[in-house]
Amino acid sequence: MLSRRDFLKLVVEGAILGNFYQLITPPLAQAVAAGEVNKLPVVMIETGTCTGDTISLNNIWTPTFSDILTDILDWRYDWTMLQAQGDVAIRVLEETYEKMPHEYILIVQGSMIQRDGGHYNHVGFKNGKLITGLEMVRHMGLKAKYVVAIGSCATYGGPAAGYPNPSQSTGVQNILPERRVINVSGCPAHPDWIMGTLLHLALYGEPELEKFGRPKLFYKETVHNRCPRRRFYDQGIFATEIGQKECLYRVGCKGPVTYADCPIRRWNDRFNWPIGCNTPCIGCTEPGYPDLMSPFTAHSPDIPFPGGTKVTTDSIGLGVLGLTSVAIIGHAVTSLYKGRIHKNLLKTSLKGKHQPTVKKVKTFHQYRLKKI
Amino acid sequence: MSMKQAVKLRRPVLKQLTQASLQNEIVLSHSIWVRIFHWGFTVSLTGIILTGLILHQPPNFLVLNFGKVFIVHLASSWFAMGFVALRITDAILRRDNSLIPKIEDLKHFPKLLGYYFFLRPSPPPNRKYNSGQVLMYFSWFLLFLVASLLGLASYWQGKHLLWVWHMVGGFQVLRWIKFAVTIYFLATIPLHIYLSLTEDISRLQAMVTGYERKPPP
Ligand code: HEM
Ligand code: SF4
Repeated sequence: MLSRRDFLKLVVEGAILGNFYQLITPPLAQAVAAGEVNKLPVVMIETGTCTGDTISLNNIWTPTFSDILTDILDWRYDWTMLQAQGDVAIRVLEETYEKMPHEYILIVQGSMIQRDGGHYNHVGFKNGKLITGLEMVRHMGLKAKYVVAIGSCATYGGPAAGYPNPSQSTGVQNILPERRVINVSGCPAHPDWIMGTLLHLALYGEPELEKFGRPKLFYKETVHNRCPRRRFYDQGIFATEIGQKECLYRVGCKGPVTYADCPIRRWNDRFNWPIGCNTPCIGCTEPGYPDLMSPFTAHSPDIPFPGGTKVTTDSIGLGVLGLTSVAIIGHAVTSLYKGRIHKNLLKTSLKGKHQPTVKKVKTFHQYRLKKI
Repeated sequence: MSMKQAVKLRRPVLKQLTQASLQNEIVLSHSIWVRIFHWGFTVSLTGIILTGLILHQPPNFLVLNFGKVFIVHLASSWFAMGFVALRITDAILRRDNSLIPKIEDLKHFPKLLGYYFFLRPSPPPNRKYNSGQVLMYFSWFLLFLVASLLGLASYWQGKHLLWVWHMVGGFQVLRWIKFAVTIYFLATIPLHIYLSLTEDISRLQAMVTGYERKPPP
């Protein structure tokens, strides 16, 4: 069977050549056929989501995608792929839960909606009762072998948890503190990130995770560190508008704060990626996306104030500096007028036996008749 | 306090001072390490803040080599951390607590504000530094340490100091806090310069020479 080392090599090689799945499926299918690895049962629950991650995942080109689904993984429950519906479909889920505890992988796509006990998000109907996403994820999650959150919403709350977060959405890890959730973030997550993580789980167990629970396999370096425009950055040559060919830092590129391997992997079958088509990275794999990353064309996030107004970071900074300048100038003028500066300077700089002090004496005004 | 020890001045200087028939006493108010720290920190912090602002938003009237700006930021930071370490060591060795706020400092603070707002003719009595100074310098120390910690966390890119990342919750927040700290420094440093130029000019020269002239006790 493929060693872990070779697998890791393929992850990078596949990214650069753009044929990760073609490289990886044949040895895997062989291993499964030879009984070296078991097909891993997978169920996917969609909660507060736009299904974007499924669409992204389905971008893996057939025949490889169908091969993976039939030969390598046991893809059991996924709304977009289901051929059954209603009770029959729910039964598949229950069967997986009862017959394969601590064997199946739970994939969660979408944020956990907590407002009003989660009743803004229903994912099933059982015994005459609507089941909330929250209940279902906890129910399935506690008995899963691995819990994988895919997409920005499931990992850290994402757009669904954006300011002012009326649905009180959050990421899966927060509602499932008992389990270590493997975060495959991104808006959407790249198909290679999702499938690569699943394959690693199937073959070698849990991959090494980085600081925010994401597999180091894909999220070890910042976009900035591997960006082809890095030489422009280092020389200080910046695009002044979106659409230009230089480094996009000044138009809000979040590459320096975003951990993902987009520069080598790229998107849509390696066709292109944001910076490749001259628009800044928007930081979609990071916790706090999108609030902390928006406006996407500005360096720092806008700060919400009570009452719903948002103020840019830079204007807050300039405001504070403006206020102190006014205060200092005001104080200096008043001190000059009151004679405090003279007094202090004379008192602290003159030599001699007697330290002189000064005080403001009465001023006389002259009055003269106006000519009429 | 240990600060006001008997003075050892170089002989020619002493001679000149006696010739000037000076009545007041010459006291040491800033030890050599304090002065080295002060001016070293001034230079390196200026470097940090200017390059930090450029890293934050590259100005369009300057085309700087960004790689070098970054190196200046890092180098100034290492220097500044070194100077702070020096000052802390010196404070520990001399048991100098002049920069640590005490309750009595806080009690004097409203009166000091009264003085600054021209409601009182003179500032209230104080230890080496007045209550406003103590509060400001202490806040600088704290914020410098916070910013350095965040800086180191981003420098190591998540290889070390993972707890810092978990605490702040992401790179953008980290940057934002550093920017806010920079603004705080930028707002308070001019205040510091203004007051040291206008309140007690002999204290300013003492930061160069170390000595201050005080009326005998
Ligand atoms: C008082 C201490 C410091 C201040 C006030 C300061 C300030 C700043 C500012 C304003 C920025 C730009 C942030 C932005 O993008 O808005 C920055 C960036 C940076 N600083 Fe510092 N800094 C300090 C210390 C340090 C130290 C000690 C280090 C590391 C040894 C460091 C490493 C960095 C790095 C790596 C960046 C780039 C991060 C990025 O990409 O935004 N800083 N700093
Ligand atoms: S375009 Fe973005 S990621 Fe690329 S070098 Fe510039 S700032 Fe870094």
